[in-house]
Amino acid sequence: MENLGIDGKLLLAQMINFVLFFILVKKFVVKPFTSFLNQERKNEEEKTKLLEKLKKSEEVAIEAEKKAKEKMKKEFDVLFVQAKKEAQNLRADLIKQAESDAQEIRNKSKKLLEDERNSLYREVKDKIVKTSLMIVESTLRESLDESSRKKITGAIIKNYKGRIELN
Amino acid sequence: MKINPKLKNDLKNFLLERIQKEQNRVAVYSADALDVEEIKVLSEKKFPDLNWKDADYRIDKSIIAGVIIKIGSKTIDLSLSGSLSKLSNTLYEID
Repeated sequence: MENLGIDGKLLLAQMINFVLFFILVKKFVVKPFTSFLNQERKNEEEKTKLLEKLKKSEEVAIEAEKKAKEKMKKEFDVLFVQAKKEAQNLRADLIKQAESDAQEIRNKSKKLLEDERNSLYREVKDKIVKTSLMIVESTLRESLDESSRKKITGAIIKNYKGRIELN
Repeated sequence: MKINPKLKNDLKNFLLERIQKEQNRVAVYSADALDVEEIKVLSEKKFPDLNWKDADYRIDKSIIAGVIIKIGSKTIDLSLSGSLSKLSNTLYEID
């Protein structure tokens, strides 16, 4: 072996060195590294599972939300239709009431105007009658002398037909 | 207080007589004094049933012309002022 240039001792030492290196690497490097890798893989799987679970629960939540939204929308639509109907009824009632009030006001105003017109008419008539009578009376007083008055008195007595009017 | 029945009766008769007299008393109001002819027409032709013996003739210028005859509480208005008043009432009644 020496002729071939191989040192047996050195080879042995190298072999022992290699075995020791192998044992040490396997024990302190490969094992923890494998364990670490396994742990990482497990973690990754758990993460994936969790993610899937989360995804599923999210989908469920989205579905529930969607259903709730649809339900809400339906309820809202029903309520909206109902509210719209009520508002329309209220509007119709208000319009009816307003029309009734307006008619009442119109009637009152008309009656007031009519009353005022009648009152004015009576007042004017009263003034005209009073003034006319005053003019006639004053004219008669001024224009009739004693002989005329006597003639009128005589004529009244003469023409009286027995129609007794008692006051 | 007791009142003598005779006295009471006399008083009652006296008052009834006075009332009767007042009720039949004639009062004639005119703007000017009525002449005999007019009084005659009134008493004999127009109102012969009235008691003209105690008639009271009074002047009232406010009646303008004509006469107003009052018998107790009754009145016969034949005056111009009365006619004007009736006319005024008629005018008020017309719408």
